[in-house]
Amino acid sequence: MELRDINYNKSDYVETASGNKVCRQTVLCGSQNIILQGKVIVQSEAIIRGDLANVKTGRYCIISKEAVLRPPYKKFSKGVAFFPLTMGDHVYVGEKSLVNAAIVGNYVYIGKNCVIGRRCTLRDCCVIEDNTILAPETVVPPFTRYSGSPGSCIGDLPECQADLMVDFTRSYYQHFQPTKLI
Amino acid sequence: MKVKIKLDCIMPVFETLISDKLTVVLDIGAAFTKFGFTGEFAPRAIFRTEVRCKRKNQMRRIWDFESVDDLYDLLVEFIYNIYFKFALLSPKDRPIVVVESLLCPTLFRETLAKVLFSHYEISMMFTLPSHLVSLSSLAIETAMVVDVGYKEAVIIPICHGIPLIEAWQALPIGGEAIHNNLRRLLDSNNTGIHNLPDSIIEDIKIRCCFVTEKSRAEQLASSKSDISVCPEVKYPVEGTQSILVSGKVREKAFEILYEEDNDHLCLSTSILDALLQTNMDLRYKLAENILLIGGTTMAPGFKARLKEELEKQLTFDRYKKLNIKTFAFHVPPCKENYAAWLGGAIYGATELLNMKAVTKEFYFKENRLPDWANLKDNIRNI
Amino acid sequence: MSYIITPDIVRYACTCGLLKPISNLYFCRYCTQLRCSFCVCHEVDTNFCGKCSENIPSSEARVKKNRCGNCYICPCCEQELSTRIASTKTLSDTEDTKTTPKKMYYLSCQFCRWSSRDVGIPDQSTVTGGWPERENVHANQLQELVDMYKAIVLAQKQQQEKDKKKQRGKYLSYTDRTGVTAAALRKRIGLPAELTHPLLRSKPKEPEPAVAKTEVEKLPIELFTEPINLMDITTVDQRLLQPEAQPTTVDKLFPVHKQLSIKRTLRCKSCEHNVSKPEYNPSSVKFKIQLFAYYHIPEVRIVTVEPLRAGQSCELILKFTNPSQHQTTITILELNLEQQEVEEAEVAPSFDNMENLSLQEKQQMSLPSMLSQPSSLMSMSTRSPTITVKPRKISENVNCDVDVPSSTFILPPRDDAAEYDDSGDTHNIQDDTKLVKWRKSNKAYVKLNVTPKEDLGLNSDVVCGFTMQHVYTNTITGQMDKKEPQKYDHKVKVFLHLGKLVGSE
Repeated sequence: MELRDINYNKSDYVETASGNKVCRQTVLCGSQNIILQGKVIVQSEAIIRGDLANVKTGRYCIISKEAVLRPPYKKFSKGVAFFPLTMGDHVYVGEKSLVNAAIVGNYVYIGKNCVIGRRCTLRDCCVIEDNTILAPETVVPPFTRYSGSPGSCIGDLPECQADLMVDFTRSYYQHFQPTKLI
Repeated sequence: MKVKIKLDCIMPVFETLISDKLTVVLDIGAAFTKFGFTGEFAPRAIFRTEVRCKRKNQMRRIWDFESVDDLYDLLVEFIYNIYFKFALLSPKDRPIVVVESLLCPTLFRETLAKVLFSHYEISMMFTLPSHLVSLSSLAIETAMVVDVGYKEAVIIPICHGIPLIEAWQALPIGGEAIHNNLRRLLDSNNTGIHNLPDSIIEDIKIRCCFVTEKSRAEQLASSKSDISVCPEVKYPVEGTQSILVSGKVREKAFEILYEEDNDHLCLSTSILDALLQTNMDLRYKLAENILLIGGTTMAPGFKARLKEELEKQLTFDRYKKLNIKTFAFHVPPCKENYAAWLGGAIYGATELLNMKAVTKEFYFKENRLPDWANLKDNIRNI
Repeated sequence: MSYIITPDIVRYACTCGLLKPISNLYFCRYCTQLRCSFCVCHEVDTNFCGKCSENIPSSEARVKKNRCGNCYICPCCEQELSTRIASTKTLSDTEDTKTTPKKMYYLSCQFCRWSSRDVGIPDQSTVTGGWPERENVHANQLQELVDMYKAIVLAQKQQQEKDKKKQRGKYLSYTDRTGVTAAALRKRIGLPAELTHPLLRSKPKEPEPAVAKTEVEKLPIELFTEPINLMDITTVDQRLLQPEAQPTTVDKLFPVHKQLSIKRTLRCKSCEHNVSKPEYNPSSVKFKIQLFAYYHIPEVRIVTVEPLRAGQSCELILKFTNPSQHQTTITILELNLEQQEVEEAEVAPSFDNMENLSLQEKQQMSLPSMLSQPSSLMSMSTRSPTITVKPRKISENVNCDVDVPSSTFILPPRDDAAEYDDSGDTHNIQDDTKLVKWRKSNKAYVKLNVTPKEDLGLNSDVVCGFTMQHVYTNTITGQMDKKEPQKYDHKVKVFLHLGKLVGSE
């Protein structure tokens, strides 16, 4: 099915020069540490914790409502240190998901209500289905579909997954239009 | 004088080097499939005989197929998982060893052969009868093999390396019957038992239940029993709820193996019936060489109870004429649930694989597998 | 989103008869046919470990039993184990006042909190390993058995071959290719053919048969009196993770090596060309050869569908996308499922004959195709010809008629630069306005009228189908004499699930 137009209230969103559309009702802590590469949509009530460590996303990422991007920490004998969270291009993070991963690759689809454990590594072209809980430090290989709690591999993805994600995120961005006042 | 070089003593050495290629050994049971390679002593993996059905996104048992085409698709998916997830090999132009029961339905084995030869293009398929090959790890030739699996218990005596098929006995008492019995017993104390998936009942059976002694079983069966039963278990299910598995249920779950049905048949009587059908000279030898294989025989207390039951049955008139004094059981050098697989791995490691397997040419010419029930293959050359 | 999460709405019919969405289909350029993973030959390309993302050569994989040497799996919950540091400070005996902390490592599961200390494995001093492995108790005994059996069977085989030779040699020939043989001479004289007496020759050693025991193990008495702790007993899945040992109690569960994963190459069965070949690097998602249908066949998507009523004509807007670099003309034709039986009847005799032919003839038939485009890396002598299976009938119940439009429409080629250039289309294509509603670069919205059948009940699934014919431009540059790429008319059957029937007349 072709995506429908998703309209938003123009006053709610800030559009930057590089095409990022960030909602005003988000919680962006430490915004100087957050790098949104371009054409990124951050929807309302999302939380990005840039105050803990650097958060970097690629182009055409979509962070849905109430999603949380939190950099992971590592316990040392002398205390706790936070590691940066890097996301690749064309990543979709579903609603209410909590992403604690250390590295998220390109072309990743994360479903709703997921909990990505701390210091996980999600490689390119993987799909984390809705309501998955990934154990900490799991490595998700490319072209796999993870589901369940604890998340385990339940299937494979078609080889053209990269292009499907590109197409999906691009068309999502194109359809994400402000409501036109007549 | 020129000495002719005997090629046939060099050739086998080359052949064994070339055929060092890994050959898959499969034992597809009704509940679990044992998978491994020839020449190894334990299967690489034992997993359930299920595939994920794409339509319903659920796991489906292969033996619960609806039609031949359905079975074909399920087997294609299943063999795909075996080769590309566990074996990490391409099936094309490779041999395969399949260990199967002598009473395996023709529909299943023909569909399996079709999937392997037409879809996966294997080079040859070596089918082995599970009862016969399980003796190879013990290096004996005569034994009474009792295979208690999931769907049924099959008893076939093997004499001097030949299965005596005319003395076959089979009863539908296997894991499935025990599960149903357990469900029935649990239902009286708990609600909602029938909605529980089979995997939970299986887990309760394996972790909590055991085969009790005959004397205790008789006392439990009578309505007033004053023996102290074993302590009960609270089995947690679905997070917060729990099922009460009372001590009585724990001991009675396996009783269905020895409850005689309307034809007065049960596990012990079947073994003795098989003995009756064999030649009188072999009976003593068979009774002293009983081999138990199959997952259900791994339940605690199985062997002891079987021995007690057999000795009890001998006192009845039916079996008195057998005149057997002792029963002796073999201990295989492996776990019983993969004993048949191990036999297949041993046979597959020898040259018999190249000598007796069904090749691609034969299959496409005849379009069927050789079968002991088919007179084309079984006719004696006078 | 459509292909990732939602169920398959638009499906194409592959040449083997199965219906798949376009993301799961491949397009063989040499046969100009659609293929799916069912009718394509899968081969293992490389082995790699999912956790360390390293390639493992196949010989090493074979030795290590298809498992990674470094990565372990928790025996309780089958998640990956991580190595943690437990630094213990040891006081040195010398006068040195500084304590030297020694780093000891242990394995720990992040999900179920199992650790290698639970089983009693001592902490290791190196990061990568030294974790003790368990051995099969019966391994030696079984190895001896197998060797003895191999010898017996070999002797039997040699005996068989010797008997065959004896039968063959009816007429004694003195020359026998190598001159007068020793065996022939001995026979002439009257001595036995072989030097040693047959009974004196060493026979292969027979294995010792096992002895059955009359005593059987009794149940432990504690089973009747003591309550069991469910947490100490292993479940069936935990036991089967280690088939050799199958421990019944939790304190015997050892960590298991992680299973390796593979990358597959796909090969078209009829023309032996690769349809998909991944890159060597495990983390890479690019492909060396990628002949996916998504890049060659126009994609059909449903934009809007009017509420469906039985017997009434409803409007359906479809979006067609041209993924190729050449312009294509799309014609929508009727589905005609009966026609496929005619096609099958034409194709079927050749497939039936394939099964009846002997293997040598099949080899001859497929050899010319292999000679013309030898793209397979393996030598022809080791590779046997592939067997093609008869395509099956499309089993989709079409219960909605499509009004076939009379005109065709053109889709311009894909232009990646047009994304950044919003100046608008300069294609100037004359369109039938009743058919084409909207157009942008290589996409077009097309309106179709569909009529669900009258006898359908409420809430039943409506499925419609049509044949899409598009002009496919073949871009194989192998043939040097032809400069113009060839154009073919390629027909694809498309099936659409339109949703449920809302009302009736």
